[in-house]
Amino acid sequence: MNQTDVSPGSTANVNLRQVGKNKPRNDAPTKVYGKAIYAGDFYMEGMLFAKVLHSDRASANIRGVDVSAARALAGVHSVLTAADLTACNSVMTDLPGQTGGGTKDTTQPILAADRVRFHGEPIALIAAETYELAQQALDLIVVDYEDTDGVYDPFDSQKPGAPIVYSDDNIVSAYKIRKGDTEKGFAEADYVLENTFSSQYQEQAFMEPEAAVAWVDEHEILNIRSSTQVVEHFRAVANALGIPHNKVHLQAPYIGGGFGGKEVMTIEVWLALLAMDTKRPVKLIQTRENSFLSHGPRHPFTFTHKTGVTKDGKITAMKIDITSDAGAYAKLSPYILLYATVGATGPYRVDNLWVDSTSAATNNLPACAFRGFGTMQANTACEAQMEELARLIGMDSLELRRKNFIQPGDPNTTGQIIRSSVWSDQCATQALAALGEQPGNSDHLVYGHGLACYQQSYGRIRWMKDTSESWVGLEMDGTLIVRCAVTDIGAGQMSALAQIAGEILGVPMDEVTVYFGDGHVNPLAGTSTASRALYMSGKATELAARAVRDNLLECMARHFEVSPGELDLADSKVFVLDNPERCMSTKEMVKVCAAEGVHRQNLAIFKAPPSEGLDPETGQGEVFPDFTYGAHAAQVSVDIDTGEVTVIKSVGAHDVGQAINLRAVEGQIEGSALMGQGFALSEELILEKGVLKNGSFSEYLMPTSEDVPEIQSIVLESRSGLGPFGSKGIGEPVFAPVAASIVNAVAAAIGTRIFDLPLTPEKVLAAITAKNES
Amino acid sequence: MLPSFDLYQPQSLGDALQALAKSDEMQPLAGATNLVPDLRGKRETCRSFISLKALDDLRYINREGDRVTVGACTTISDILRDSAMQTDAPALYAAAEIFAGTMVRNAATIGGNICCGSPSADTVPALLTLGAEVTLSSASGERTVPLDEFYVDYKKSVKRADELLTSVSWSIPAVNSVNLFYKLARRKGDAITVTGVAVMIAAQDGVCCSARIALGSVGPTVFRARAAEDLLTGKALDEDLIEQAARTAADQCAPIDDIRASAGYRLQTAFSLTRRLLTQAWKQLA
Repeated sequence: MNQTDVSPGSTANVNLRQVGKNKPRNDAPTKVYGKAIYAGDFYMEGMLFAKVLHSDRASANIRGVDVSAARALAGVHSVLTAADLTACNSVMTDLPGQTGGGTKDTTQPILAADRVRFHGEPIALIAAETYELAQQALDLIVVDYEDTDGVYDPFDSQKPGAPIVYSDDNIVSAYKIRKGDTEKGFAEADYVLENTFSSQYQEQAFMEPEAAVAWVDEHEILNIRSSTQVVEHFRAVANALGIPHNKVHLQAPYIGGGFGGKEVMTIEVWLALLAMDTKRPVKLIQTRENSFLSHGPRHPFTFTHKTGVTKDGKITAMKIDITSDAGAYAKLSPYILLYATVGATGPYRVDNLWVDSTSAATNNLPACAFRGFGTMQANTACEAQMEELARLIGMDSLELRRKNFIQPGDPNTTGQIIRSSVWSDQCATQALAALGEQPGNSDHLVYGHGLACYQQSYGRIRWMKDTSESWVGLEMDGTLIVRCAVTDIGAGQMSALAQIAGEILGVPMDEVTVYFGDGHVNPLAGTSTASRALYMSGKATELAARAVRDNLLECMARHFEVSPGELDLADSKVFVLDNPERCMSTKEMVKVCAAEGVHRQNLAIFKAPPSEGLDPETGQGEVFPDFTYGAHAAQVSVDIDTGEVTVIKSVGAHDVGQAINLRAVEGQIEGSALMGQGFALSEELILEKGVLKNGSFSEYLMPTSEDVPEIQSIVLESRSGLGPFGSKGIGEPVFAPVAASIVNAVAAAIGTRIFDLPLTPEKVLAAITAKNES
Repeated sequence: MLPSFDLYQPQSLGDALQALAKSDEMQPLAGATNLVPDLRGKRETCRSFISLKALDDLRYINREGDRVTVGACTTISDILRDSAMQTDAPALYAAAEIFAGTMVRNAATIGGNICCGSPSADTVPALLTLGAEVTLSSASGERTVPLDEFYVDYKKSVKRADELLTSVSWSIPAVNSVNLFYKLARRKGDAITVTGVAVMIAAQDGVCCSARIALGSVGPTVFRARAAEDLLTGKALDEDLIEQAARTAADQCAPIDDIRASAGYRLQTAFSLTRRLLTQAWKQLA
């Protein structure tokens, strides 16, 4: 049903034997056979089980918490409230490993003390002999709440007199971009169009809910084995508990999905506190219902776009106002707002640009990182506006896009010059073509095709001075080991390193052992976030493997009496390129090199290009290392009696730079197609005065297997990226255009647009009815 | 998490009925596909259940003459595996095809779907248009009740606490009839119905001789739109009549607003889907 095409337009000029090939991932067998151990599978002698009391209201004062009955219950070993954390009841939720940038305060109480600010805020921690006992204890806790006026809308929360949730004005962050002359730009326009677009909370809904085990070992080291995207959180855990960094050991086994929801710490500190209090191992696997309350979902955003365009389709100016609902705490809202601000114009060059963006606190769920990280929301709005502009001036929307696509050498929104290839046009053209003919309308069904392009960064914000380290070494028997603390969150992070090191050192990838996810025995790789894991840890692994290769080939060149450049490594052999009969097994080679004292291992560090931040008045400066470009196209049908939307075909076409593992790329495109479909059509956390109403999988509606359309992946390779072998990051990029393409397809089908997501059947029918009446 | 509860697992129908006769609190469970989410969601307060899992003699599909009888523990997947159901109960088969998702269909039973009493139960509109009857058994005897008289209010039925619904039966639709079902929901798999409509129209020479229309999720129970049925019966079908009947059916709806849809949307789609199914039936009969 699903097919992948690698475009013949790729610039293949390197003889790659493993990279880019359709090879099964190294982690596939252990996962398919159910052998892979996840955080929740871990069992220890004498282990206790934890439960967390989450607030059931969004805005209240806490007059008291009575835990006496819970503590008195036999088998209950610890009940902790804010009263027990007087020395340390604060945890930093800022991006790990950097110094901040526009954020006033990213601390958050570990447990609510005298006030709850959102539904789900933790109030008490319990450790007991069993989950059932812990739950019984939890049910015995009496919280004396006094409900207070809350604020549940980010526009209301900025008004004078609004209840204060954060800082002294509810403003979590704000940015502006002032570029060119927008007044002049609008004056030059033949048409000016203004629209407001809004989008909703989306839940990550990773397969594996938050899970961890914590224990203090015989060396007084606090160990936490957790489902996290970031092992560097050991520092934040240590800081929160007031213990030295080298006394916290945080390991990440295989992770059952993150999507940003496990970027900020989730349950690690809670378990650390219980393990230290009880001196016993403590385990927690959140229930699905509590998982909805244990990490930050995608921010709701509102974008007002005012765009000037000539009748020939040239954009002359954009003025964009952006507001995001941060919820009750800052978490990563400032960075997500920055991504939305930089990404506000999509993949288009706009020389006269004015952007104002604000993230405001409310008593809603604290939103946080989620695949796309603000850029996706911004892109969805921008691509809807592009369609509306095309409709207004009577031009084909792809033609309008072509006239405005940013090109290599152009400055983007913040004045950063685009250095890598931009294949937006090729991707859009191929994606649309792959949809084929649009079916004719029938009695109840109307059909539409939709397109969206994008520009999404990969790699972290450059003033964070991001680095990644990796170690590569050959064993005496010719086998290969990679040590790199990258977390494997299910996207093939570990397997890609085997493929890269194996390619360079001529060892089949399935014979490479990768030690990952533990930064205390492996070099730290940085986070599996920001579409950076392959780019950064892949690059570090490439550097280390190349260093080992150079050492070996220098030795072998003497042996074969040729120059190192005349040798190659493949299939566990070293050989002379123009006379492959002259060869030696890798095992023999290692022996020879070892006898000569040649260094057969290397620890490499890869440093992302740094920058010094943005000019606060103009928003100009270098923000990201590079960007990925591509397109998604969708064919939908709409039932005009009911408003039901069916996605029939969904095509992603992306310039990935260089595919490292083609199957993994395909997996990202297919997963994105469904995640974006959910965002466009059915997924939405519904809050009433801040209280989550649909925190379960029976009411939170992700696409199911029965909602899967025909999906096609088109992979283009410009080899222009900053990652290994010219690859670009793709985890977030391939997701960025999906929802917009479906939204545009629905607009094309029904001849009118819905400006707030998701497009529920009810909203679609209302739009059809309104159009028919007008 | 799931609360702790008592579970009795009888090995025979007789034991099950005896247990129900002795206890006021015990509730039967079969597939538990509604019960488990309700327990987790703290909507279900009962903590004592009697499992019907072992009662294989309640899992059957029997045909005698033009009568089809289905045991209460027959799963939705069992119905789909019986290809004759496509003609013996077209709307029921259609409902089974889009009932929840594969995993739920493998566990959920037809008896459970009827007894939960949810207005969104997908088999019920179909069964109402088939004119189905249910058999209620207890330690003291057995009685048969038309499904149309089974529900009295939201999640309330005439079934006594000591009774078990043991089977549902109906007559195979006449040759000159069309039986249709449409489920409107917010996604295709594992979705709770927003508006459900089933119709059974029989016609002779273009004149409707029998009409049944049943609506789900637009009132406290699934119900028959009697006034609309009366409007059609004995008349030649045409667009105006169908429009009028659909309007009359919608007038009988009393939907509520909830997180899945507004009452207004339910009313609007109850009308348009009734009109659509009646039109399809009319065209197929012509």
